[in-house]
Amino acid sequence: MMKAVERQPKAAVLGAPTFWGHLVDSERMLAPLMIAPAILYIVALVGFPFLLAIYYSLSDATIGNLSLNFVGLRNFIAVLEDPVFRQSLKNTIIFTLVSQVLVLVLAKILALALLKDFRGKWLARFLILLPWTAPIALGTIGWMWMLDSIFSPIDWMLRQVGLLGAPGAILGTASNLYWLGIPSLAMTSVILVHTWRMLPLATVILLAGLTAIPQEILDAVEVDGAGFWRRLFQIMIPMLIPIISIAALFGVIFTFTDMVIVYVLTQGGPVHSTQVLASWAFFKGIEAGDLAQGAAIALFLFPLMACMAIFMLRLARRTEVT
Amino acid sequence: MKENEKKKNKGIGRRDFLRTVGAGIVAGAAPAVIIPGRALARAKSLKILQWAHFVPRYDKKWFDAFAKQWGKDNGVNVVVDHVHIGQVKSRTAAELAARGGHDLIEWFDPPAQLELSVLDMTDIVKEAEGRFGKQLDLCKRSSFNPKTGKYYGFCHGWVIDPGDYRKSLWAKVGKPRGPETWEDLITYGGRIKKELGVQLGIGMSQEIDSNMAARALLWSYDTSVQDKNENVILNNEKTVAAVEFMKRLYKAAMTPEVFAWSPASNNRALIAGKASYIINSVSAYRSGQKKKPEIAKDVYFVPPLKGPRGTRWTSEHVIYSYIIPNYASKNADTAKKFLLALLENYDQAMYQSELYNSPAFFDTPIPSGDRGYARVKGAKKLRDLHNAWFDKDPFALPGEATNKLKVLKDAEKWSTNVGHPGPASPAIGEVYGTSVIPNMMANAVRGFGKPKTAVAQAEILTKAIFKKWRKKGLVGGTM
Repeated sequence: MMKAVERQPKAAVLGAPTFWGHLVDSERMLAPLMIAPAILYIVALVGFPFLLAIYYSLSDATIGNLSLNFVGLRNFIAVLEDPVFRQSLKNTIIFTLVSQVLVLVLAKILALALLKDFRGKWLARFLILLPWTAPIALGTIGWMWMLDSIFSPIDWMLRQVGLLGAPGAILGTASNLYWLGIPSLAMTSVILVHTWRMLPLATVILLAGLTAIPQEILDAVEVDGAGFWRRLFQIMIPMLIPIISIAALFGVIFTFTDMVIVYVLTQGGPVHSTQVLASWAFFKGIEAGDLAQGAAIALFLFPLMACMAIFMLRLARRTEVT
Repeated sequence: MKENEKKKNKGIGRRDFLRTVGAGIVAGAAPAVIIPGRALARAKSLKILQWAHFVPRYDKKWFDAFAKQWGKDNGVNVVVDHVHIGQVKSRTAAELAARGGHDLIEWFDPPAQLELSVLDMTDIVKEAEGRFGKQLDLCKRSSFNPKTGKYYGFCHGWVIDPGDYRKSLWAKVGKPRGPETWEDLITYGGRIKKELGVQLGIGMSQEIDSNMAARALLWSYDTSVQDKNENVILNNEKTVAAVEFMKRLYKAAMTPEVFAWSPASNNRALIAGKASYIINSVSAYRSGQKKKPEIAKDVYFVPPLKGPRGTRWTSEHVIYSYIIPNYASKNADTAKKFLLALLENYDQAMYQSELYNSPAFFDTPIPSGDRGYARVKGAKKLRDLHNAWFDKDPFALPGEATNKLKVLKDAEKWSTNVGHPGPASPAIGEVYGTSVIPNMMANAVRGFGKPKTAVAQAEILTKAIFKKWRKKGLVGGTM
């Protein structure tokens, strides 16, 4: 019976060949069809806005007037002359570099710790992942309370242990540290909250990289008598470079383009000391209504990020372990 | 048979997968294709976007129900969408860019930068003035561009922004009626901080309250960002003196929390008992009545503080301004009819906002019938209601003084618009939106530069902004 069925032509088994039937059976047709939604998605949500931003930046568009007149590079020149833009650019670089260094170092430590077996490991993993899964605005509002000028529980704890608010206290006699009111502390706060936010993703990426290192290599190194630091710096980190590059690339792009933490915590203050390019583009383009200059500010991110992405992807490819 | 089972066990095949996904897409897209057809067949509609009112009962108990009822009476399907105040501008920008969305959008500050994308409201303002008397000047200057002669917004109301002080604290330093001049803040406010450990709360950060406080100080020092003809006049000796004053004030009576000031800081500081004086609408006090009655009972009000030559001004706290985008021109008549109905019922807007809203048309007659509040004897116009309610606050707590708001009765005499003494404009809006003025204060106070330098830097930024908008033909003046 089986043989009889096998001998029958395919069309007889599956029914007459229809247009759709032909389409789904053809690899040549199906592959582009399947990938088309992803390409359309990227074109619609990344490509089109990107081209629109270039178009806006070369025009005199405002939020109240989209009948665009070409003005050449006038917006870019105006933006470069603006001292707030220059400060925002500097802040963006500091914000990104410091937070990414912190993220990578802490993620490596956490990943190494999570590689070991210990009781309650699942709980530790869950808690570490929590900041990534929680909505960013919600987490940041939580931090806003933690860093509040009056109610900060951090300040309360410091006061309880006598480090703050008492005569001769190391951190000063004022009742609060005013985390978001003093430029250096405000920048520190923004960086720390961003590090808290980005740490889980980097940890998971590095953990995946660590588990991929062949055990026999680590065993061989141990037999050869290499200690922890030597194993770490001469074996593990070099082997992890491709994956570290990916983690860093994600982190840098995310940090460069993110404005939520700055917007919720400080609105770029005090006196623009935490203003970053993404938030300044928003304030200038939407709050102040100058869409063209807002677009020009946002586009300054592009060449920087493109260079960084190319550099990191090249580094990852060059150091790839095959 | 076995073959069939085998097939089943394999799970979803390529054909099954594509069929399921295809069916899903069709099912998902169908309503979008079908519903517009239905919508066309329905009665007229009016879509309104506005910010969630700071006094929740305004939206929940009154406005939404009022709008629905008006729709029912006029055969219009009214949809009201509320968004957080911080989202109004980005939503408006998105809808204007998409050339579609709401028919009426309410802003909380002058929507001057939208002028070219919105309908002229001159006809409705004229009609409203014919029916309800003259529109308050500060409302006109927040919605009318004298350069182009266009009403880019329709201002139906505004919010008073007085000084709120803690009577018990000021009484202890010999000033029970609160401060009268800016210098009082240093003399008495400084003593309150030193002797009682409670600071003043006048923001110097990148947010609305700080912007307003800084402008109130400038105006009281007889200086401003622009003159009445829209020329930039910021860089002068009076501005430098105002900035120098702010520096002294910070040193005497404030803490670094003012550099992290947010729109919620007034409420938080007052309710926590950590502010002896703030500049804010009655909303902070109303929050206190609900959350910390003992503190609220101690909160009293003063008009704006006098400067060195006796001048006193304060900015409106909020300007309610509706726009009708060009894309909604087909629905403009319905939208304007709704706005006139809103004006007719403005006694409700005042009452349900717990006296937060003040009317732009004080001579509007009070409708007859049960209005949901105790009738005020002899009251015929909103002005009468305003006076009666500010004389005797209907929302005072039991055992609380009812005449606290009396000093705010003539607030329109000392309240003004953001561009004072000139009109609001896109340039004034950008100077405001990018917080040039509070940052000028903060720069000098934090010692990033001398007051003179801070003013000069602010002037450079301001002039660049004015020049840009002047080129677009939307701002007057030459300097």
